[in-house]
Amino acid sequence: MTRALPAALLGVVVLAAIPLATRNSFFLHVCILVLMWTVLGAAWNVLGGFAGQVSFGHAALFAVGAYTTIILYLKCGLAPWWGIPLGGVAAALVSFPIGILCFRLRGPYFSLATLAVAEIIKLVALNWESVTAGSVGYLITSLPPVRLFGLNVNWESKTPFYTAAGALAVVALLATGWLRGSRLGAYLVAIRENEDAAEAVGIDTVRAKVVTLALSAFLAGMGGGFYAFYFRYVDPDAVAGISLSMEMVFIAVVGGLGTVAGPLIGAVFLTAVAEVVRGRFQTGHLIFYGLFMMLVIRFMPEGIWGRARRLTARAAAGE
Amino acid sequence: MALLEVQGLTRHFGGVSAVSDLSFSVNEGEILGLIGPNGSGKTTVFNLVTGFLRPLAGAIRLDGQSVVGMRPHAVARRGIARTFQIVKPFPGLSALENVTLAAFLRHPARRDAEAAAALVLGRVGLGERLNEIASRLTLMDQKRLEMAKALATTPRLLLLDEPMGGLNATEVDNASELVHRIRASGVTVVLVEHVMKAIMKISDRVVVMNQGEKIAEGRPERVVEEPAVLAAYFGKHVA
Amino acid sequence: METLAQTLVSGVLTGALYAMIGIGLTVVFGVMRIINLAHGEMVMLGMFGAYWGHRLWKLDPFVSLLVWVPLMFVFGVFLYRFLLRRIIPGGELNTLLYTAGLSLLVANLALFAWTGDYRTIALSYGVSPVRPFGIAIAIPLAVAFVLAILITLALWLFLSRTDLGRAIRATSQNPEASVLMGIDVERVAMVTFGLGTALAGAAGILLAPSLYLYPTVGELLIVKCFVIVVLGGLGSVPGAIAGGILLGVAESLGAVYVSGAYKDGIGFVLFLAVLLYRPSGLFGAGK
Repeated sequence: MTRALPAALLGVVVLAAIPLATRNSFFLHVCILVLMWTVLGAAWNVLGGFAGQVSFGHAALFAVGAYTTIILYLKCGLAPWWGIPLGGVAAALVSFPIGILCFRLRGPYFSLATLAVAEIIKLVALNWESVTAGSVGYLITSLPPVRLFGLNVNWESKTPFYTAAGALAVVALLATGWLRGSRLGAYLVAIRENEDAAEAVGIDTVRAKVVTLALSAFLAGMGGGFYAFYFRYVDPDAVAGISLSMEMVFIAVVGGLGTVAGPLIGAVFLTAVAEVVRGRFQTGHLIFYGLFMMLVIRFMPEGIWGRARRLTARAAAGE
Repeated sequence: MALLEVQGLTRHFGGVSAVSDLSFSVNEGEILGLIGPNGSGKTTVFNLVTGFLRPLAGAIRLDGQSVVGMRPHAVARRGIARTFQIVKPFPGLSALENVTLAAFLRHPARRDAEAAAALVLGRVGLGERLNEIASRLTLMDQKRLEMAKALATTPRLLLLDEPMGGLNATEVDNASELVHRIRASGVTVVLVEHVMKAIMKISDRVVVMNQGEKIAEGRPERVVEEPAVLAAYFGKHVA
Repeated sequence: METLAQTLVSGVLTGALYAMIGIGLTVVFGVMRIINLAHGEMVMLGMFGAYWGHRLWKLDPFVSLLVWVPLMFVFGVFLYRFLLRRIIPGGELNTLLYTAGLSLLVANLALFAWTGDYRTIALSYGVSPVRPFGIAIAIPLAVAFVLAILITLALWLFLSRTDLGRAIRATSQNPEASVLMGIDVERVAMVTFGLGTALAGAAGILLAPSLYLYPTVGELLIVKCFVIVVLGGLGSVPGAIAGGILLGVAESLGAVYVSGAYKDGIGFVLFLAVLLYRPSGLFGAGK
């Protein structure tokens, strides 16, 4: 962690400087997307990259956060700085029964189970109309400006959203970095390397996985809460669909499983691809996500960042 | 009171009775050999005692307290450690990292755990190879690593599952000596093994299993002469 | 008004078609131990093959089987030979992720090419159902059912009577021994994957006249397919058949007696229940 400190500080400085350097609305929008996807990729990476548990159902956790936040705002007027963390908490709470159910399985069976659970949650979102408003969803029509810490926050500009997204991304990456250096992080490596051996040496593998999932869910849920406020519309297709789950997987895998910066790199790369492809289609970028996923698994399974680190390590050793 | 007491232990797989009404005890400080032909249920016994499998019936008590129904990590915490017949290292990690993970059980701080791990690795003879990646170690060294991982949890009882499988004569002697040193340090050992010479020499007592049941128990020299044991290994037509 | 008999019959008919989807996946798993997440998209391609054949060339979907099934076989062989073969040694999860990518690629290429509009195939003989014993059966569904049985029979004959079929079964039971016995396991894998893809395509064609067609239908189908295959035991063809029919009947009963909206959810719940309590399948045939 201390090795990466200079780079991290530089990153934060750049992050803070961007909205001061430009008022270009579109560019800021793209940056916001990158930051949001970084949070989601990091959330998935915590479980998939560090613990080695590949989930195809993370959209469900995102959705819980999105719905919680938007409902709390529309029904109780709860401001986003409360609503978004609460969205994260709600997702973490929901993750407990999911984990207890799904962690009884290993490997691909676990992945399939998460798929099924996510589809069930999407069905519930579609049909539990009294709570989720079904396929109609929730729409935020007005966000009146507020005062926070003596500053006027104007929701019409990109800046408050950029700041929020930036803060969430920093939190997500810090959490990942903390995890990597912690004892829990070491336990996760053990579980990934050999789960039976981990149990045999006294590691409570279920507890480790459940806690990691809760952290992952918390981050994903906060991402969902942010989504709700930024895009102002939440419905089952937008937030609980399988392609969203897959996008989270792709960002983490393409960026670099089990690394801290991987999700950021993945988010930058894939958002760039999406913007370039933006042309005709809303979901045309998914074609390329699928393609890049296949290319990465085939040629660079450790992801872009993983490969970069390997190359620099080799270069350093060769000198 | 014996350190480990097993009473009426039973476990089926589908229609097959893997372990049937098995009872034996292990006294503190002894080396107990668990022998029997292939498929007699020895590894199943280990799996049952360490929580990897649940018994259908029976009691398992460590120091008088039941460990039935506890998950493996909890059993390890109580003080029963094991090695696996086919070694299960953390393949991509170094020997030190492997054992440090086990040492975390008793030493929550990383620095202490690493120190304890290094000590254990020294005791099993891997002191020179702390930073070697586990998957690249020789078979003998991987077996040492397997024991080091188990020992780092400071067990009262150590279950060794065929630690000498695949080793040559010299290595078998080294392994036997290691087991003696482990016992001398205060750990009670139960040993499953097929290498007869070794197990007969090391064990204070043996328990013989066949088809899930105990068929003999006692001092090694005595047990090898029992007709039931001979029949189990060589078939009924040997007088 | 739906009678119990009507519900059961509908369930069995649909279930048989579901079973066909499952057979393709389970055969591939049995031989190659891979879970192909793109299987749903193979079914989708069959569906759209039938649709376009009908739309452009007035080809009856059931006749178009003769055209599409061989093509899908070749497509499957191609996918294995040039794409999957290098990935499989990388491990289960890598392969899973790879096929997830493939699934996304194919589904979205189709979405791009054909838009997300729901489509149907309107057959002249699909309008009025036959009514044996007072139970209404849509003719296309009945024809599909019969063809599904014939195809499954042909598959069984192939697996049990031909050398290649026996080689496939042998590899499925014991890959190491098969290699030692001189079986070209690579060729077996290639043929099996082609077969699995062809079966998926066939299932799609048979289902096409009875469902709404859209490019992302694979999402839904793949989960149902796993329900079937896990119910019956991964790798077991009879298990897939039984699982398919079970799912079809469960959905049919559930739609009528529990709730129409949550019909799809029944499969998911069943799936989770089996994964947790009988992971080797209801018939204990799987790994």
